[in-house]
Amino acid sequence: MKRVLIALCAALLVAGCGSKGSTTQGKAAIEQRDVSTPTTDQQAAEEAAKQARIAQEQEQLKQQVEEQKRRQEEAARQAAADAEKPVVKPLADTSMTGKALADPASMLKDPSSPLSKRSIYYDFDAYNIKEEYAHMVEAHGKFLLEHKDMKVRIEGNCDERGSREYNLALGQRRADSVKKAMTLLGVPAKQIQTVSFGAEKPKSPGHDEEAWAENRRSDIVYVGVDAQK
Amino acid sequence: MKNNGRLDISRNTRSGNLWPWCFAAGLLLCLCSATARAQLSIEIIGGGGDQIPITVLPLADEEAFPQRISQIVSADLTRSGRFKLQDIGSVRPLPSEPNEVNYRYWKNRGTQTLVIGRVVQRTDGKVEVRFRLLDTSKEAQAVGYAYTVVTSQMRAIAHKIADVIYEKLTGEAGVFSTRIAYVARFPQRYELHVADADGANSQFILAHNEPIISPAWSPDGTRIAYVSFEQHRSIVFVHNLVDGTRRVLAAYEGINSAPAWAPDSKKLAIALSKDGISQIYMIDADGTDPTRLTNSGAIDTEPSFSPDGKYILFTSDRGGTPQIYRMSVTGSNVERMTFEGSYNVTPRYSPDGKSFAFIQRMQGRYSLALMDLATRQTQILTDTQLDGSPAFAPNGRLILYASIVGGRGILAAVSSDGRIKQRITSSAQDVREPAWGPLAANR
Repeated sequence: MKRVLIALCAALLVAGCGSKGSTTQGKAAIEQRDVSTPTTDQQAAEEAAKQARIAQEQEQLKQQVEEQKRRQEEAARQAAADAEKPVVKPLADTSMTGKALADPASMLKDPSSPLSKRSIYYDFDAYNIKEEYAHMVEAHGKFLLEHKDMKVRIEGNCDERGSREYNLALGQRRADSVKKAMTLLGVPAKQIQTVSFGAEKPKSPGHDEEAWAENRRSDIVYVGVDAQK
Repeated sequence: MKNNGRLDISRNTRSGNLWPWCFAAGLLLCLCSATARAQLSIEIIGGGGDQIPITVLPLADEEAFPQRISQIVSADLTRSGRFKLQDIGSVRPLPSEPNEVNYRYWKNRGTQTLVIGRVVQRTDGKVEVRFRLLDTSKEAQAVGYAYTVVTSQMRAIAHKIADVIYEKLTGEAGVFSTRIAYVARFPQRYELHVADADGANSQFILAHNEPIISPAWSPDGTRIAYVSFEQHRSIVFVHNLVDGTRRVLAAYEGINSAPAWAPDSKKLAIALSKDGISQIYMIDADGTDPTRLTNSGAIDTEPSFSPDGKYILFTSDRGGTPQIYRMSVTGSNVERMTFEGSYNVTPRYSPDGKSFAFIQRMQGRYSLALMDLATRQTQILTDTQLDGSPAFAPNGRLILYASIVGGRGILAAVSSDGRIKQRITSSAQDVREPAWGPLAANR
């Protein structure tokens, strides 16, 4: 909409410049005739005609300016109305009860869909899926049910603190708990692979609580869709 | 050299890809270096208690050789924290045989123990290294040896001499001739290194861009088991240091991890999650016949054998938090060992089997701790924040461990009484996962 407005204004400006230019040319033509035609009667008649033309031109100019003003006001009103208008864009069908509306890869990337979220975060030394991630895990489970050809790898990660070996086992438990939540929805186990990286592949390299919270995580990775890490 | 002195043991080594057959030659130490990207520097940051005064004189003619024997011996003894190295006095020429020693001069200086010797270039190209440890109060030799070696073995012989001196004066085995393994991390690269106990001659036996953890020496010193993520998941390998070959020990579904050698070097305990959750299994060293030892439904990992092979310590969260448990080697008689705090992990039996080192979280700090098995008393040995991966020296005196200081992974060592502390840094971005090899078999 904004683009259309800009184009409109630009067009009006060009039109405005064009009419100004023709007026100047008109005046120049009149002055030329003044010099080249000295006869008195003719002079009077031509003077009257000239005045009439000038008046006409001025009237036209006035109308053009008013038209321009009117259009600008109309555009401003339209812009104001647009700003208040709700933004409407199509949503992917997240209920997954019917047939898929789009191709699977683009559904996984739709930012308005819970499928675009792939990470589950945990408390320290915990592997339970917190309430806030349950819906997202369920959406992935249902998606897998709808797309039997799709496979996921669930990657369990831990923060760096404590034992590397215990963290490796904990990361596996985190990944396995996500797998279990999905298989409980009926997703065949063969669609879900799990792997633990323990504390070995931290997403955030820091050594503080912010980094640790980021690194206590399971990632749902769609095999063949998401990039290999 | 005084305590707090910085021992930069990095040095230039000869290049050339000779190392695979160095191990095959059965040397105690590998004396040639393919790559020295991760040389370690050892800094002693605390010394302790009753240090034994000793004077190590330069060996006659040692300056003609690239390896100065007396310097390596002095550095070894100093680093142990158990000796006070004294200055070499002003008598010139320096004595190199007992009949040249003015005992009265050394006694007047308060020197009780004096090391003298000589390096002789033989006509066959070999070198004879002679050393004697003299007791000035008895005006007699305590111990003395002559070693005939090729020049490339001179550093190894210096460590051997330090071991002899250490053993004579403390009654315990010296560990200067042993080797350590550790993981060095560079941006986008992990290297599993083997180095001399003083950090010299460090070279990698495995390098790739995926993590490597949990190296473990076989008690016979011929192999290292470790976990590598090179196939984007944890797989346990056994790497043969003699011929440089390796084989997969365990690559089951789920995690394959935490290898620990039984004292006979024929079996390992490992953690596998192939049957659900991480549990402890016994497996033959050739990777066959995994037998499940634990059946807890909770995380069981990090096995460590008692030196007599009868018990296994391990970490489990079966009680709700990770704690240390002990079971018989068949998996029976499980007993919880730790009760203080909500996070006790990574148990490692001491070489004498009387205690175990572990990592304990207290007030948000992950510290190296030691539990005495007879009294069940725990002593915290370190004051750093994020300690891990303890590894006993084979004489039980020092515990090597990993820590994070200034955002970098470092190795550190602490004596089992907590008095002596060392910090070991590297040119690598991080060094971690230390493992201390066994005493040399020919001692």
